[in-house]
Amino acid sequence: MQAIAQPLQAIAGFAASLRDHGFTVGVAEQQALVQAALALPTARPRVVEAAWRAVACHRRRDWQRWPALFDAYWHPGRTQGKTQVSGQTRPSRDLRQVVQALQDQLAGAPGRGDSAPDAVLDERAPADGDAGRSQAQGGASLSDPLHDRALAQWLPQDLARLQQLADRIAERLRRRLTRRWQAEPNGRRLDLRRTLRASLATGGVPVAPAWRRARRERPRLFILVDVSRSMEVHAQLFLRIARAFVGAAGARVFVFHTRLAEVTPLLQRDSATVQEKVNAVAAGFGGGTRIATSVDDFCQRHARAQLGRGSRVWLLSDGFDADPPDALAAALGRVRGRGARITWFHPAAQAPASAAVQAARGAVQQFVRLATLRDLDAATPLLT
Amino acid sequence: MPEATHPATEPVDAAPAALAERLHRAGYIADEALATTLWLASELQRPLLLEGDAGVGKTALALALARAEGRRLVRLQCHEGLELAQAAYEWNYGRQLLAIRLHELDPQSLRETDLFDRDYLLERPLLQAITSAQPCVLLIDEIDRADEAFEAFLLEVLSDWQITVPELGTLTARHVPRVVLTSNGTRELSDALRRRCLYHWLDYPTLAREISIVRATLPLAEARLVEQAVAFVQRLRREDLGKTPGVAETLDWVRALHRLGRPALPDDPAALDATLGCLLKTRDDRFQFAPERVLRLLEGRAAVQTGEGVATRPG
Repeated sequence: MQAIAQPLQAIAGFAASLRDHGFTVGVAEQQALVQAALALPTARPRVVEAAWRAVACHRRRDWQRWPALFDAYWHPGRTQGKTQVSGQTRPSRDLRQVVQALQDQLAGAPGRGDSAPDAVLDERAPADGDAGRSQAQGGASLSDPLHDRALAQWLPQDLARLQQLADRIAERLRRRLTRRWQAEPNGRRLDLRRTLRASLATGGVPVAPAWRRARRERPRLFILVDVSRSMEVHAQLFLRIARAFVGAAGARVFVFHTRLAEVTPLLQRDSATVQEKVNAVAAGFGGGTRIATSVDDFCQRHARAQLGRGSRVWLLSDGFDADPPDALAAALGRVRGRGARITWFHPAAQAPASAAVQAARGAVQQFVRLATLRDLDAATPLLT
Repeated sequence: MPEATHPATEPVDAAPAALAERLHRAGYIADEALATTLWLASELQRPLLLEGDAGVGKTALALALARAEGRRLVRLQCHEGLELAQAAYEWNYGRQLLAIRLHELDPQSLRETDLFDRDYLLERPLLQAITSAQPCVLLIDEIDRADEAFEAFLLEVLSDWQITVPELGTLTARHVPRVVLTSNGTRELSDALRRRCLYHWLDYPTLAREISIVRATLPLAEARLVEQAVAFVQRLRREDLGKTPGVAETLDWVRALHRLGRPALPDDPAALDATLGCLLKTRDDRFQFAPERVLRLLEGRAAVQTGEGVATRPG
């Protein structure tokens, strides 16, 4: 069998297939794979698998995907619940035989040990067409064009992408200088009090001066998500986005339709049932949307002490308001009066044109369209 | 039990199995994959990065490894703002000043270089591990809490096994220590660090393994109590909890029930109420688990003996 004649190639092919699936497997890892295979008993392929897993995985995501990828390469027949592509057959590889062949091959060679596999491994990877084919067969690809796919079909990489975006936007939020100081080894200002205190240990000689610098703080971020009936389709995306910002920027998240409720604690947890819980919180609200009342409630009760100069308030809503049209302008005016900056995200292509929003235009710093991840990406420069 | 995970067909010279055996004697029950990884880490002289939820036994593994190998354990607990002075070394300023004062009358007897001698160097965990005369196990606990600058410093230590002290030169390890790093994932670690380590994700133990862990730790507790309690905790972990109970919580709970003199889990959830504080550690979780819900979890009890493949002890 070809695979047995070329054990190193088989392992290189495996490394290539891992690489195709986003694993960080470089020359060093490949060498370690070979070393592990040489050192371990051949009779127990599971031991070899365990060792290889420790070498090739670097994070939890890799760890979880390993069993499927390992089976797909070494035991293509074993994979269950997948459609097998007919026509393309490839020789099955037997891990035990590969490892055995590798050990035999190197036991015979002079100077057995690290140098031999190194030399072969330096010219990297799949020399035989077999490994090349495995790349084409290997299941889901990493680069997914469905950047703005419907929400029901979100995949883990979309979530990862969202988190990246949120991190980037959070990083861009301009930090504000405060009047407080913080200890910092590379600070510019001498912390006299700490320096003197520390000098007691060295007989009054200030050997290790303490330094500090002015503290800068990220602006506080508040996200208000409209979960009324008219927003039903979009609420899930908005909540996901809000959740990403809870992690990235410590945002506080509120949901509202006729009343307002805080859901930050629910979003902080990594739980599959977030949506259900948010629904439970929002349940019992009446029909319709009362944006102005909710904003007032937010401003005067929930965020009374925190809403200050430089705070950011993000409203995620389509702007249909059951309150009197001028109430929204007044409510947003009060938020603005506290010094907060308001950004209005709307799911439609155009900014909301309801009378309430028209009247409140002056208080809103900007309107941003947000219906897909792509929109969030495009809006990144605006969110500072 | 090691007999369960390593069948009798195991060749005697299989080093990973022998390591698992030693770990078992040191009070840690490792499965085959973990033992292999540990063995490989020593073979390749690579640090081992352990990740997993809180309470799955990451730190305990390092402690057990030190006991199993008969090595000294050097522990570095990471925290925010951890500095080189606390992690690697620091000059003993007090002693240096004292030496200067003592030699003030006779300035010739003390040269400046004498002050930067090893005698005046305070060795912190990293340097201790590097310079240790006997091989040791270095545990770098909760590396995700330290900042990135410290992580970068660790790269030199973990790949070249050396620390550079400007006044003394480079100190190289006499024996490469067995390094175990643990992380709870509060911060994403850098790729460079990850690539220098072997990786193992520690999951919550399976039912059988957890039962054997509890039995090994609390040999006096009734077998029926242990099995039922562990099965209960396993079911509890599948619920949506704010803080999922780890192995340590299971041990606490079984210990509490054992002290209360219970031979098995009571049928009445109210009787458990007082001890549930060992497992549920947030207010929300306590609130969620009203007696009815506990009862529902308790009622899965019949499945312990039949469904999940655990043999019951006769009698």
